[in-house]
Amino acid sequence: MVAHTGGDAGPSACPAGPKPDSQETRVVEAALRCISRWGTAKTTIDDIAREAGCSRATIYRLFAGGKDAVLSAVASTEVERFFTGLAGRMQAAETMEDVLVAGITEAGRRIQDHAALQYLLANQPETIVPHLAFKQAEALLGRASSFGAPYLARWLDLPDALRAAEWAARIVLSFGSCPAADVDLADEPSVRQFVATFMVPGLIPLIRSAGDTNV
Amino acid sequence: MWGFTLSAGMADTVRERILEATYACVARYGMAKTTVEDAAREARLSRATIYRYFPGGKEQLIGETVAWESARFFWRLAEAVAGAADFPRLLEDALMFAHQAIEEHAVLQKVLQTEPERLLPHLTIASDRLIPSIKTFLAPYIERERLRPGVSVDRAAEYLAHMVLSHTGTQGRWDLTDRAQVASLVRTEFLAGVLVPEPDVQRRDVTTNT
Repeated sequence: MVAHTGGDAGPSACPAGPKPDSQETRVVEAALRCISRWGTAKTTIDDIAREAGCSRATIYRLFAGGKDAVLSAVASTEVERFFTGLAGRMQAAETMEDVLVAGITEAGRRIQDHAALQYLLANQPETIVPHLAFKQAEALLGRASSFGAPYLARWLDLPDALRAAEWAARIVLSFGSCPAADVDLADEPSVRQFVATFMVPGLIPLIRSAGDTNV
Repeated sequence: MWGFTLSAGMADTVRERILEATYACVARYGMAKTTVEDAAREARLSRATIYRYFPGGKEQLIGETVAWESARFFWRLAEAVAGAADFPRLLEDALMFAHQAIEEHAVLQKVLQTEPERLLPHLTIASDRLIPSIKTFLAPYIERERLRPGVSVDRAAEYLAHMVLSHTGTQGRWDLTDRAQVASLVRTEFLAGVLVPEPDVQRRDVTTNT
């Protein structure tokens, strides 16, 4: 029984946005490639048009807000893609520990491997970092926790599932921005060691007594 | 040990004076509008002196000022919690104090409201330096506790430093003014994997409101 969280999260949610092979999608994908090379500040509508193989006029027709609208679409698409990727891994997990390990490792890998994100973090941190602290981090944690909770519902009541999901999201944010020598978020054995040591002992007492005892 | 050292050297005194002056300018004018000239005037030093200590100019000066005030923040936190009855209480006090101190930090709140994109990259860099400082503070307390097998003092300190920092900036689902919630957070998320459990803790834990 999957708990309803009411948000856009959950294994059955359909991603919003343009259809896979539409022109909007081609423009968004092209913009992403440009950002990976030059960042957001230096990427122009002309760059995107050239990369997408269409005219400037087409881009302005599809994205009335111009460059800002395209960048916004890129951000939404990438966030959606991120969570969809995590969903796949977490859905396949068999135990509560596996769900947490899968989510954290997949998040770690995707962050590490994301060319545009890494370019921005290195060269234009002011575009990304405000989302990772204080008020905007509240929104991010909220979204991550709503997203992750259904995958823990087999073992935890909703409030505890939300709690555990927030905990995992904090781990990704915190160890992602301030790496520790012995914690590699993109490495499954490292994450498993971490989860088994620091998270599982705290979650076991919260497991629903009538639920799945296969932790 | 902490983010800045108190030494008898003239150099550190001058450096401190510049940072203090820059902080006062940021409080008054904000980050964007504060100039090296402003800092020099406030510190009653020449521009040349400022550039000698901060050859990177304004960006370096602002970055170091953020790091300086961040270290001072945790210094004040350490002082506030040092008298706690036991280690779990120390962490509870730390979270509650830190939360309140952030809310009441006039300069921080002003900059967050008006120019967060200027502050936050510096704060991320400062955080990297804060982790070792928080670890150093926590280590002696951790050393006195019974740790779970396979958990070293260093690993525990690293984990707890990250958790303290994470909850200092962002409450998430927690009401950090509520002692009962904070106690539950500390007992579970912070310490369940670190400390050997007390014999009588089998009762159901308290979770936050949703």
